[in-house]
Amino acid sequence: MAMYSLFRSVRSEVVKGCLTQHVQSLFTSCPSLAADKALLLQLRKSTGYTFVNCKKALEKCNNDITQAESWLHEQAKKEGWSKATKLEGRKAKEGLIGLMMHDNAAVMVEVNCETDFVARNEKFQQLVKDVALSVMAHQSTSKKTGFIKSVLSSEDMSKLNAPDGPSLADQLALTIGRLGENIAMRRAVSLSVPSDWHIGSYIHGTVAGQVGIEMGRYGSLVVFQGEPKEGTYALGRKLAQHVMGEAPVSLGNMDDLSCGDSETRLLPQTFLPDPKYTVAQYLTLQDARVLDFIRFQCGESSSQE
Amino acid sequence: MAALVSVRACLSALQLTSPSLLHSSFKLCAVPLSRRNFAAEAKKVFARDKPHLNIGTIGHVDHGKTTLTAAITKVLAEAGGANYKSYEDIDNAPEEKARGITINASHVEYTTANRHYAHTDCPGHADYVKNMITGTAQMDGCILVVAATDGQMPQTREHLLLARQIGVQHVVVYINKADAVDDKEMLDLVELEIRELLTEFGYDGENTPVVVGSALCALENKKPELGVNSIMKLLEVIDGHIPLPSRDLDKPFLMPVDGVYSIPGRGTVVSGTLERGVIKKGDECEFLGHNRCFKSIITGIEMFHKSLDRAEAGDNMGALIRGLKREDVRRGMVMIKPGSIQPHQKIRAQVYILSKEEGGRHKPFFTNFTPIMFSLTWDMACIVELLPGKEMVMPGEDTAVNLILRQPMALDKGQRFTLRDGNQTIGTGLVTDILTITKDDKYTWGEK
Repeated sequence: MAMYSLFRSVRSEVVKGCLTQHVQSLFTSCPSLAADKALLLQLRKSTGYTFVNCKKALEKCNNDITQAESWLHEQAKKEGWSKATKLEGRKAKEGLIGLMMHDNAAVMVEVNCETDFVARNEKFQQLVKDVALSVMAHQSTSKKTGFIKSVLSSEDMSKLNAPDGPSLADQLALTIGRLGENIAMRRAVSLSVPSDWHIGSYIHGTVAGQVGIEMGRYGSLVVFQGEPKEGTYALGRKLAQHVMGEAPVSLGNMDDLSCGDSETRLLPQTFLPDPKYTVAQYLTLQDARVLDFIRFQCGESSSQE
Repeated sequence: MAALVSVRACLSALQLTSPSLLHSSFKLCAVPLSRRNFAAEAKKVFARDKPHLNIGTIGHVDHGKTTLTAAITKVLAEAGGANYKSYEDIDNAPEEKARGITINASHVEYTTANRHYAHTDCPGHADYVKNMITGTAQMDGCILVVAATDGQMPQTREHLLLARQIGVQHVVVYINKADAVDDKEMLDLVELEIRELLTEFGYDGENTPVVVGSALCALENKKPELGVNSIMKLLEVIDGHIPLPSRDLDKPFLMPVDGVYSIPGRGTVVSGTLERGVIKKGDECEFLGHNRCFKSIITGIEMFHKSLDRAEAGDNMGALIRGLKREDVRRGMVMIKPGSIQPHQKIRAQVYILSKEEGGRHKPFFTNFTPIMFSLTWDMACIVELLPGKEMVMPGEDTAVNLILRQPMALDKGQRFTLRDGNQTIGTGLVTDILTITKDDKYTWGEK
C-alpha cells in the first residue's frame, strides 16, 4: 500500500515537471497566444480532459486553475455516468485479467472493454489494479480462516469501494467517460489458504505497466499441498502454466487413465512443461497434491452467453 | 456455326439469371467467350490505369473516422471516383466485429485524379499485427483523425503506436469537427498538440500536413469551406504526401526454383515463378540455398514454349543457364541477381500462431519446439527460441521469436513463411531481422 502511494506521488511530480517544460516551449514557439491559452494548454496537459471542457472550466472559474480542475473532475463523473448508461449494451470481450498475490491469498479479476487498444491504456490498467485491490481488501475483512474461495459477480464488485475512496462503480464510470468505450467488471475470484497449502499462479500475455499486479490475457491459479523437491514456487508456476495451456475442466483422480489429446480432467493429462509424465505422475514424483484450480481466459465468459 | 449458337445461348442465359447469379455466370462464360473473341461483350473490368495505394483511418473512438470515410466517398462519388457509402454501410456492426480467420475490416475503394485507393478501418491492435504478419492488408499510409473539440485522446496515442509498430511511414492529419469550435485559436492549439504527439512517436511532426475541416458538413452539404473543400484538400494532401510503394518490378530479381530439367542438345533449364524484378536474356545470376552457391549467366528465357527476351515479376518461366548440370540445382534454391540476398541460418521473426478454430494447434509451445519452416519453394526444419520474458506461446497469439534453421537458406527481411508441424499448419510469420549464428546455436542442432 505504501509502495502504491509513493508511486503515485512520484508520478504526479513527473507530470508537473513535464508541464512546466511544456509551457516554456509554448511561449518560445508561439508568443502571440494570450495567457489564458497557456492556462488552457496547461490544464489540458495536466488533466487530459477534452479541449472544449477545459475551456468551459476556465471560463466558469475565471481562469482559476485549481477550481477549474475540481470542476472538471465533477463534470467527468457526471459525463462518465451518462456515457456508461449510453454504452451499456455494447459487447465487450477484450480486456485484461489482473492477478494479485499476497501471502497465502490470491485475487484474480477480469475487466472487459471493447477493443484491445483500450486494454493497453494506462487508465484502464489502473482500473484493473483498483478492482483487484478492492477485492483483496474486501477479502481480508472476513474473519474466517482455512480454505476460502469466493467468486464475485459484476454486481458484487460494483458494491465494493476502491482503495482510495469512491465506489468501484463510480471509478468504472469515470474510466468509461475517459476512454469512450464500454467497460465491464466481469468476474473475480479470491482465494485464501491455510499456511501449509500453496497457491501457484501464472499470467500469460503479460503487459507491463502497473507495479504489484500482473496483468494479461490468460490467468490461472492452482491450489496445492505438499513440499515439492523443486520448490513450491517453481512447481506452482509449472502447474498453473499447464492449467493455462491445457484448460482442464475437472480435477479427476490420481489413478485415472488418460483418454488422449481430448482429455479434460487435469490429473490424467500429459504434463505440459514435461511431457514424459502425466500431471498425476509428476505430482507423485514431487510429493504434492493438487486440490483446486481456476482458469480465466479474457472474453471467454461473454462468448458462452 | 455451332459455336455461334452456343454463345448466343450463353448470352440469353445471362439475361435471364438474377443479378446475384450474374457474377458467377460471367465467370463460367469468361473462358469460352474469350476464346471466341467475344470478350468485349462480357463484364466491366477493373481498369489498372492508376497506381494503387492502401490507406487507413486511425484515431480515438467517436472522433469521426467512419464519418470521414463516408464523406470521402460522397465527395468523390460526385466526381465519379467512388460509390457513395453511408455511415451505416461502412459501420455495419455487429457482424463486422465477429472475427473470422481474416479480418472483416470494412474495405472501401475510391479513385482520385491520380490514384486508386483501398481504404481500411482499424479494428483492433492484435488484429492489425496479425494482418501485418499474414500480409492480408497493409497500409502504405494513414489518416489520423482528431476531433477539434477533444484534441488527442487515449486511443489516438495507441493507434499511432500501432502505426509505428506495423511500419506505416506516412501519416496525414485531419482535424475533424471544426464546425463545432468557434474559436480559431483553439484549432491552433489542437494542431500544436498533434504535431508534438507525432514528433513524440518518431514522425516528422513539423512537416506532416494537417487539414482542418468537418466531415459531417461535407456529408450534409453545409459550409463548403469546412466541408467539401476540406475533403478535397485532404485527398490532395494524401496524393502529394504519401509516396507510392516501390513495386516488385523495380527490385532485384528473385526466382525460387520450382523444377530443374535437362533438355538434350540445349542444356539445363530451371523453372519457377519470378517473384520480383525483371530478367533479361544475358543477365548474370546467382543460385543459392542447400549449402550451395554459384554464379552463371541466363542464356535463354521461355514461357509456354515460346522464347522471350524479358520476363517480369509474376511470370511463370523457365531459364536456360549456361554450363549448368542437372544435379547442381535442386528445388528450394533461389535464382537471384548476384549479391542481392544471402543465405541465413538464424532470424528474428514476428509470427502469428493459428488458433484451434483456425485449424491450428490447441496446445501452447515452448522454446526448442521444432516445426518445419516453408518459404518460397524450400522447406527446412527450424528450432524456435522464445525471447526473454516469454515462456510459452498460445494458439491465436502473435509474438516475436528467434528461429534457427538446420541449414542456411535464402532469407531476406520482409520475407513471409509458414510453420508446420506434422500434418498441421501452426502459423505464419514475417522475417523482421537477420541474426548471426553463434556456436551455441549450432550446438542445438548437434554440431560443434
